[in-house]
Amino acid sequence: MSVALSARPLSMARALRELDGDRLGGVVVFAGRVRPDRTESGPVVALDYEADPALALDRLRALEREARRRFGARRVVLWHRVGRVPVGGVAVIVGVATPHRAPAFAATQYLIDALKATVPIWKTDRGRSGRRRRPPPAPGPSRSAG
Amino acid sequence: MSSREVTVRFFGPARQQSGAASVAWPCPPSGVPARRLIAEIGAAYPALAPTLRVSRFVRNGAYLRSLGARLRPGDEFAVHPPYGGG
Repeated sequence: MSVALSARPLSMARALRELDGDRLGGVVVFAGRVRPDRTESGPVVALDYEADPALALDRLRALEREARRRFGARRVVLWHRVGRVPVGGVAVIVGVATPHRAPAFAATQYLIDALKATVPIWKTDRGRSGRRRRPPPAPGPSRSAG
Repeated sequence: MSSREVTVRFFGPARQQSGAASVAWPCPPSGVPARRLIAEIGAAYPALAPTLRVSRFVRNGAYLRSLGARLRPGDEFAVHPPYGGG
């Protein structure tokens, strides 16, 4: 098991080492990188990530357990950056190792989608001037309370 | 923080819209329903009001199941706008 919120760059090579193991024939690793999107006020040069750390780690651990239960994952990597990530930098790594490839693909797809929807992490664009730009658009109502 | 307050923490867009990472919110000794506290926050920070309508709320590290839940002095109450990781 490997879940983390990291203020330091994420390493694909290290993720692959975490996912190594005997009889694990299917290893899938997804890396989400910061795109140089254009906004009304110019190009994005970085994203600032923040998390509610205790709750975010709880959710990441819950997703790891779910990957084991639903997909038979033997090893899981769920790492997310906090702090500033420049364009081209890796913001998230999701990796799964299973005996065969199909559940590894399915689990990785499931985990990145679930991470984005359910883990308390937020990002803010930063432009060349360094000032904050508009936050990413909010999806539809998602209030869980009441 | 004094014992007559709830600590309200803002994350993501809510922090930008309120201009604060956290504030100490007055709370009577008998407590206050979350719904009422949220309305007070929205009135104090009009720019935050639309975000409050789509946010989740966390009390002392656990998601709030009902907006009727009572917040008491000393509690921590977090505003979680829609998540945007990845």
